[in-house]
Amino acid sequence: MSIVTVQLGQCGNQIGFEVFDALYSDSHCPQGLCSKRENEVYQASCKERFFSEEENGVPIARAVLVDMEPKVINQTLSKAAQSGRWKYGQHSCFCQKQGSGNNWAYGYSVHGPRHEESIMNLIQNEVEKCDCLSGFFIIMSMAGGTGSGLGAFITQNLQDHYSNSLKMNQIIWPYGTGEVIVQNYNSILTLSHLYRSSDALLVHENDAVHKICAKLMNIKQISFSDINQVLAHQLGSVFQPTYSMEGSYHYRRNPLGELMENLVPHPEFKMLGIRNIPQMSENSLAYSTFTWAGLLKHLRQMLISNSKMEEGIDWQVRPPLSGLPTLGKVSLNRELHFNTSIANLVILRGKDVHSADLGGFKDPALYTSWLAPVNAFNVWKTQRAFSKYEKSAALVSNSQFLLKPLDTIVGKAWNMFASKAYIHQYTKFGIEEEDFLDSFTLLEQVVASYCNL
Amino acid sequence: MGRRRRRVDRGAAVGALPEAIAALSRTLPAGPSPEIFRRAKFDRPEAAPALWQLLFRVLSPLSADGASASPAQEAQVRAVKSELRSQGYPRRALAQLPEDGSQGSRELLLALAWLLARGPLLERLLAQTRVRLGDEIPLCECEALARPGPPVPRVEADGPVDIRHLQWLMGKLRFQWRKLITSQQEQCALLGKIHSYTRGCHSDRSLGHLSVAETELLRDAEGGQQLLRRLESENVCLEAALRWRRQELVFWRWMDTVLGTCPPEASQPTFVPRIPERGAGEWELVARELQALQEELRGAAEPRRAAWEARVGGWGPEWSAVQRASREAVGLELAALQRAWERGGAAAQPHGPCRLVKSDAGASGGPGLRAAQVIEVLRSREACLEAVLCQLQRQCRQELARLAGALPGLIWILPPGR
Repeated sequence: MSIVTVQLGQCGNQIGFEVFDALYSDSHCPQGLCSKRENEVYQASCKERFFSEEENGVPIARAVLVDMEPKVINQTLSKAAQSGRWKYGQHSCFCQKQGSGNNWAYGYSVHGPRHEESIMNLIQNEVEKCDCLSGFFIIMSMAGGTGSGLGAFITQNLQDHYSNSLKMNQIIWPYGTGEVIVQNYNSILTLSHLYRSSDALLVHENDAVHKICAKLMNIKQISFSDINQVLAHQLGSVFQPTYSMEGSYHYRRNPLGELMENLVPHPEFKMLGIRNIPQMSENSLAYSTFTWAGLLKHLRQMLISNSKMEEGIDWQVRPPLSGLPTLGKVSLNRELHFNTSIANLVILRGKDVHSADLGGFKDPALYTSWLAPVNAFNVWKTQRAFSKYEKSAALVSNSQFLLKPLDTIVGKAWNMFASKAYIHQYTKFGIEEEDFLDSFTLLEQVVASYCNL
Repeated sequence: MGRRRRRVDRGAAVGALPEAIAALSRTLPAGPSPEIFRRAKFDRPEAAPALWQLLFRVLSPLSADGASASPAQEAQVRAVKSELRSQGYPRRALAQLPEDGSQGSRELLLALAWLLARGPLLERLLAQTRVRLGDEIPLCECEALARPGPPVPRVEADGPVDIRHLQWLMGKLRFQWRKLITSQQEQCALLGKIHSYTRGCHSDRSLGHLSVAETELLRDAEGGQQLLRRLESENVCLEAALRWRRQELVFWRWMDTVLGTCPPEASQPTFVPRIPERGAGEWELVARELQALQEELRGAAEPRRAAWEARVGGWGPEWSAVQRASREAVGLELAALQRAWERGGAAAQPHGPCRLVKSDAGASGGPGLRAAQVIEVLRSREACLEAVLCQLQRQCRQELARLAGALPGLIWILPPGR
C-alpha cells in the first residue's frame, strides 16, 4: 500500500529529498545481510510504497512538492535527477514567484485558498497512480511561514477530500532559540489546526537532531543537509519493510495503518516522538558491533529518561515501583523525571533479530494505568539490515516526550499574546484573536491530558 | 393376477419411500441416512443426535458455512429450539425435550417436515451453498441485518473503567474501519484491472470477460481440479433435489402416518416460554425495577401533562386543529421518508449477491441491473441516513447545551473536532 508525500516549503522539500534518497539507498544497499530473494522482496515492498514506475525504469517518488518560491524546489528536483537513481515526477511541483514572509496567516488564509485547486489536483494525480493508497505524509515545519500555514490548510483539505486515508504530519520542531520572532505563534496555530485534522503528528526536534550530529556523528560544521540526513535515517528505520508477524517472512503491507492503530487511536494523544540507536558516522560503522541486549537497554533508558540520543543518558531515572501511583499529576514546575508512555512501537532490524529480548519494554510500570502492556507495546522486526547498520533499533513513542517542549512554546506564545504583540500581522489576514484563544485552549487541554497520565 | 399386481405396486411403493428420503437427505447438509428417519418414526433415541445436528445445520446456515467446529450438543439443542420458536413452531413437545439431545427423534422429524412444508427450504439452502464463479457483490443487506450475529462475548470489568481506555478502543475501531474501506477500494481497483485485461476471453458473450475465479482457473491447474470437484458435488445435490421433487408425495403420505403415531397433545394454543430456574431471582429483580421505573415515569409525566394541558387551554377547537396539522405533517414526513428510501425501484433490487460484469459504455440493455441505477438507490438511502444522523446530532448538541447551561460556573471544553 502506497504513501503519498506532500513536501511543503523549504523545510519540507529539503527533508523530503533526503527521505526518498535514504529509502532508495537502503533498499538498494548490497549489505542487507539476507538472501538475495529476500532482498528483492524488501526492495519491491519499499518501491511499491514510496515510488512509482516509469517506462524507462527510473523510479519516481510518490511526492508532491509545494513551495511559494521556486529556488528550493528547483534545487531539490535537480539533486534528485542528478543522482540518476530516482527522480521526482515532471509535473509534481507547484510553486509561485513570491514567498510569504514567514506569515502563517498569509499562508493559511491567502495562499491556501488561492492555490487549493492546483495543489489538490497534483495530489489527486499522485493518488491515482497508486493501486492502493494507504495514506499521506505531510512534511512541514511548524514555525516557518509558508510551510506551516499552508501545511495546516492542506492537511485540512486532505481531511475533507480523503477522509478515509491516513494522514501523518512530519513536523519539524524549531530550535528553541530560533530566529523567527513569531515562531511561537506559528507553532501553536499549526499544532492546534493539525490536531483537529491530522491523525498523527510525528515530531522531529531540530535541537535534538543537531546534538546527534554534533556528538554522535562528529560533524564539525553542521549544515541543514546533515540534519536532514539524520532525520531521514530515523524515518527510514521506521517505515522500511518489516515482517507482518512473528515467525512470518512476508512483509507487512500497511505499516502506516498499523502504526496509527497501535499508537494514536485516542483523539487527545496524537504526538509521537522518534528515537533510534545506534547512530554514528559511516566511518565508525565498520568498527562497531553491538548486542541486542545492550541496544535495547539503552533504548529503554532513552525512553524512560526522555533522552534524545544514546549519549548522556540519565541512568538515575527509574520507573516507579509497581503498586505505587505513577508520577502523574505533577505540576510542571518540578522536573518531570520519568517519562510515562501511553504506547510504544519498537522496530528492530538486523542480524539475529529474533533473539532480541524485549521484556524490558513490557513492564507495566512504563505505561499509563489504563492501557496494559499487551495493548500498549508492539514490536516489528526484520532480519534485513538497514542502511549498513548490522543491528539497529528505532522507537516511535506516544509518551510525555513532547510535554515540556509543548508547554514551553505555549507559555511563550501566551506571554506574547498577553501583550498582543505582532497580532496585527495575523488579524490582517483573517486570523482573529478568537482563533488564537481556541488554539491555546486546545493545546492546554493536550498538555493537561499528557500531564495526567 | 390382481394380487400380484398389488404386490408389485406395494413393492414399488415400499422402495419409493427410502429413495425419496435418500434424495431428500442428499440435498440437505448433514443429511442422515433413511434408516435414521425410519427409527425416528418410532421415536427411537439413537436417531435423535443426528436429527438435532441436521436441524441445527438447516436452521443456522450462515454460521455453519464458515465455522469448522460445530458447537456442543447442548448449544445446538438450545439454538434449534430458540430458532424454531422464533419461526412460530406450534408443537410444545419439542420445546420440552431434554437438552442433552438424547430423545425426541419423532418430534424432530415432525419439525423437519414442518420446515420443509412451510417454505422453499431446500431451494434456499442450495442457493446459499452455490458454487460461485463470478465476482459477486451483495446488493442488499436485508438478510444479514435480519439475522442477529453470534452473541457478543461480555467482558466483565473488575473495578471502574477508565474512559480513556474506551476512547482508545473506539479509535482503534475507527482505524480498522478506514483500513477496511481502503482495502475494499483496492479490491475494486484490482477487479477493474482483471476485468479490463481479460476482455474478450470469455466464451459467454454476454459476460465478455473473466472473473477472478475463472482467471485463477486458467492459472492454477490444481485449483481448477478443486473447483471441478466442487461443481460435481453440487451437481449431485441438485440432481438429488430434482429426484426429491418427483417423489416427495410418498414422503408426505408417510409423514401423515408419523403424525398418527404421536400421542394426542392437550391443546394449548399459546406458547409460554419457560423461564430457566436459576434466573428466577434475576427476573424478579428486573420485574421490580420495571415496576419502579413505571411508577417514576407516571409520577414525572402526570404533573407535566397537567401543566401542559393547562397551558394549551384544554381541548378547545384550536387544539384539534393543531393536532390535525401535526398529524398531517408527520404523515407527510413519513411518506417522504418512505419514498426516498424506496426510490429507484427498490422492488427491482434482487436480494443476495449479484455477479459483477464490466461492459462497454453505451452497451445496450441486457439482463441485470446497471451500476448507475444501483448507485442512485444507494445514494438516496445515504441521503436518508445522513438526514437522520444530522437530526440525532442536533438533538445531542441541544442536550449538551442544556447540560452545559445547567451547571453555572463550569466551563465545558468540547473535544477538538470539526
